[in-house]
Amino acid sequence: MNIADFSTDLEAARELRDYCSIVGTATSRLGRVPGVSSLDLLVEAIRNTVEDAGLKASDIDGVICRGPDESYSHHQVVAERLGINARFSTTLTNGGASQILGIAIATMAIRFGLAKTIVCGFGRDTWSRTHATEEARVRNETRPASQRPREFGPEYGYFGATAAHAFGATRHMHLYGTTRDDFGAIATAFREHALRNPDAQMKKPLSMEDYHAGRMIVAPFGMYDCSLRSDAAGAVIVTRSDRAKDMRRPPVLIKGFGTFNNTRGWFNDDNMVVTAAKQSGEAAYRMAGLGPSEVDTAQIYDCFTYMVLTQLEDYGFCKKGEGGAFVSSGALRLGGALPCNTSGGQLSESHAEGMLQIVEGVRQMRHLYAPDRQVKDAEIALISGHGGNQVCHSTLILGKA
Amino acid sequence: MSDVKQKPVPRPAPESAPYWAAARERRLSLPKCEDCGQNWFPPSRTCPHCLSSRVTFADVSGRGKVYSFVTFHRVYHPAFEGETPYVVALIELEEGPRLLSNVIGLAPEDVRCEMPVEVVFEDVGDATIPKFRPRQA
Ligand SMILES: [Zn+2]
Repeated sequence: MNIADFSTDLEAARELRDYCSIVGTATSRLGRVPGVSSLDLLVEAIRNTVEDAGLKASDIDGVICRGPDESYSHHQVVAERLGINARFSTTLTNGGASQILGIAIATMAIRFGLAKTIVCGFGRDTWSRTHATEEARVRNETRPASQRPREFGPEYGYFGATAAHAFGATRHMHLYGTTRDDFGAIATAFREHALRNPDAQMKKPLSMEDYHAGRMIVAPFGMYDCSLRSDAAGAVIVTRSDRAKDMRRPPVLIKGFGTFNNTRGWFNDDNMVVTAAKQSGEAAYRMAGLGPSEVDTAQIYDCFTYMVLTQLEDYGFCKKGEGGAFVSSGALRLGGALPCNTSGGQLSESHAEGMLQIVEGVRQMRHLYAPDRQVKDAEIALISGHGGNQVCHSTLILGKA
Repeated sequence: MSDVKQKPVPRPAPESAPYWAAARERRLSLPKCEDCGQNWFPPSRTCPHCLSSRVTFADVSGRGKVYSFVTFHRVYHPAFEGETPYVVALIELEEGPRLLSNVIGLAPEDVRCEMPVEVVFEDVGDATIPKFRPRQA
């Protein structure tokens, strides 16, 4: 069996192209929302999303969400708060790759008659958990104790996601001469986008000098290479495209999606340099019937600056190793060749594990933004999700209806 | 309550106990498949190369190179206060498997990818943990 042989998959994938649309999207309050749990943030985002779509909760018959790591059957608790029963509901645990995966599963469930209208969402209260109280600041731990490694890490002083991703950055710099200036180009571009977004957590400009003056966390990453700790949630509603026409907002087509997980691990093979975005992107391009040159805006999972650079390469926006030159050319800025993370991303808007990237992709495809935030004439948006021990990946391609 | 200033020691899963027992004797020992002859890491009871369950532990050379590395400036655990900046590296052993460790015996700014290294053993509490230093000529 050759897992790279997609000839028989193509027909099935094409059947899903444009079959469903996103008809509602919204966020909760973003940034610092003390006293509100991740569950309530998600319910807030879903309530706003239902309202955005012009629907009632009773119109929804499916719920797919990723829960906080320590939550059990989170979708049940969410649906209970929405006051609905679900024909189809489940919780995903692919980390930041879960949010797009949820939309993929929703599309398949709708295609095969398991549900008609599914809400997908995610919320987290990471700022409150790590900063809102003195106790939280001391603990400063985002992961439940049961999930922290017991060996092959802590004894060496190895902790946290920052270090894991920094390994990839070091290796990429070694192989291709990528520099911290390149990472800085990403951080400063996204900050500039955040300043146009009144909901963004970060309100101050970030210059290249500010970037380099930021304290080092785990080199080669300094503080501005790292995404935010946020209280944030977002949601979307997925339904069949032929039902989507009469909704309150312009529907946005789900043109393609793909997933790939380098489950052999981040430290194996070349996975920290050539990420699963490569195969996840290829699968999404195949379903959508298009390639990187047709993408007008990218909303890339930016847990760390480096991850934007390497995923852009893996998606084929430039060659492997040329990401540094690509991002430093100004391509990612609004008005550039590939406006990227146009609401500020997880580096500057708020971090909801890829959910806000989806929200922004939908909004760009609706063309309801004022000109200073709208990617002009954009027809196709590519969105990425990355997580699950750094190796789980998902890609979503949206199109203007 | 345990002293938070104490460095974390490995709390081995059952399948990695032989690895840590060998380290106590200053040997670097990795799981090895009796059917296909390959090594891997971290330890498990099924060969990830051929799914054989005929798994043993065998000493390896202790020689390798730095595949990649990071330098901790932030203190994530109080026991490492005063030790920053320190290097955590992914070591690729000559036998193939990669493992996390510290590179010691040189300044963090002098560590490079592909640098040849060799294992040394350091006692931490009741445990002995393998670390790596630049390979001596
Ligand atoms: Zn074997």
